Amino acid sequence: MRLKADALVALHKDAAALNALRECIRVRVMDIRGMILIDSASAAIESGFALMPCFIPGLIEVAGKSALQRTAERFNHFGVSQVTAVIEGQSSDSWLKPLSGVSQTLASPDRFWRASETAFNDLVQAGAELVILVRLGAYAEIDFESMVQSHLDGHCRVSQAARSGQPMDIFCISASRRNDAASLFRSHLTRCRSDCPLFESAGYFNPLAEPLDLRQFAIDILTLQTQTAPAGIQVRPGVWTAPRAQIEKGARVLAPAFVGSFARVRSGAVVTRCSSIEHHAQVDCGTVVENSTVLPYCSLGAALELAHSVAGFSRVWNLRRGCVVEINDKKLLRHVSETSGNKLLVSAAELVAYLPRQFWRGIFGQPASPQPDLNAALRQTSPTLGSASGYRAPACDSEAANEFPSNLVVARTHGNQ
Amino acid sequence: MEINSRPVVVKRMPERVNGRTAREFLRDVQPFLSADRPQLVFDLSQVAQLDAAGVEMLLRCMSEAHKRDGDLKLAAPSPQACVVLELTRTERLFEIYETSTDAARSFSGFLPNAMRQQLLHRRPHAPAA
Repeated sequence: MRLKADALVALHKDAAALNALRECIRVRVMDIRGMILIDSASAAIESGFALMPCFIPGLIEVAGKSALQRTAERFNHFGVSQVTAVIEGQSSDSWLKPLSGVSQTLASPDRFWRASETAFNDLVQAGAELVILVRLGAYAEIDFESMVQSHLDGHCRVSQAARSGQPMDIFCISASRRNDAASLFRSHLTRCRSDCPLFESAGYFNPLAEPLDLRQFAIDILTLQTQTAPAGIQVRPGVWTAPRAQIEKGARVLAPAFVGSFARVRSGAVVTRCSSIEHHAQVDCGTVVENSTVLPYCSLGAALELAHSVAGFSRVWNLRRGCVVEINDKKLLRHVSETSGNKLLVSAAELVAYLPRQFWRGIFGQPASPQPDLNAALRQTSPTLGSASGYRAPACDSEAANEFPSNLVVARTHGNQ
Repeated sequence: MEINSRPVVVKRMPERVNGRTAREFLRDVQPFLSADRPQLVFDLSQVAQLDAAGVEMLLRCMSEAHKRDGDLKLAAPSPQACVVLELTRTERLFEIYETSTDAARSFSGFLPNAMRQQLLHRRPHAPAA
């Protein structure tokens, strides 16, 4: 009995020790916030993107979502719910879409870095202990949890993500180190005043520096090489469609492919080989889109073949030939108006221009030339032979000409063959 | 035997081929197209912009040439011209050569062997290296 009492006392002591241990190792929730910078400087490096006005790769949607949106989702995935984005642009820019959970700040080019520093200070004032800073351009799938752990274990002020030893524009900054952060922002993320250890990442990386990267990004998303997936639902294996995408009867969408919201694939069109038709884009009747990306608000004309290209903003980047072609012909490629009011105005103007033209053609146009009759043509002697020669073709008087079917045609591939 | 080889006309296309320039260009080449069995080469090396009207003009020229038992070939297309020809699916309708010389020389490629040999003998010899 005494032995049992001793055991109870020992057990009681163990429980007290266990509670004390729990108190010691209680995990305190850290306030970690995300910050995304998007400036045009990274976009304008490559000639392909430099030709495109207002084109920033971080904001362009690929398979339904922009790199900004995908990075914000990745922050949320790792439990970083409060994300601030500082985007270079004017307040009048209409392309900026509100994103849930992301507060967006527009900054003019000359004030971009100043605004970024202010946004960082605001996060610190709001109670952030650690800020993860990502600059787009490049899209990288970093394991933020491991990066933060590495930062804390190393007692770093600032740490930087790297891939194969090459540093990326992704930083982990201790909020208390404002001077380090300030020097980082003032040097446009090129220099840090204190030691900045590298965190090696082996995750997916795409520089998004040129159209080829944009295309590769679409391919990687559609073939599930990335941890991020296409937007919308998978209607068939490998075919994703966003809400309100229109695929007309007779159109063929072959996996893997993506059709974005409000995009329209008309009858007879074919979309195949990792092609991505972004939101509000249109593919007209009979057009084939193969291994290509049709950027938002781009309308492809009828009976075309777009292969190995990125099309949009009245331009086609041919990735095989490595060249950009500006196309001003609306029969081939045009930029669809982004607002419904503009669309209505354009449609009304086209109708107003079309009807008088048709009336004019109907009244003053030249009459259509009569179709030559095959039998009559066969009965005629060739003018080059001359009637004086008295030559008459063997088929002229006979009914042999009627034996030929009326739809007989001769196709020649080359003139001299 | 005297071989009466027909001339091959090589025309360089303008830098921008839109509706207006295509009409002007067509007017320029119309006399050659109206000849008997025309042999034409269009040099596209300078073409930086080509639109649907330009492609339509090329097809019309080819059609006119074929009507008269001739042919139209394209030479040295710029990457921009290639992209538009591919986009409009017309690149497969034309014979396309890397240089105008190759295109012009290809017209004699269809001659019978005997005539081709005679043509070769008539050519001045290249200077020895």
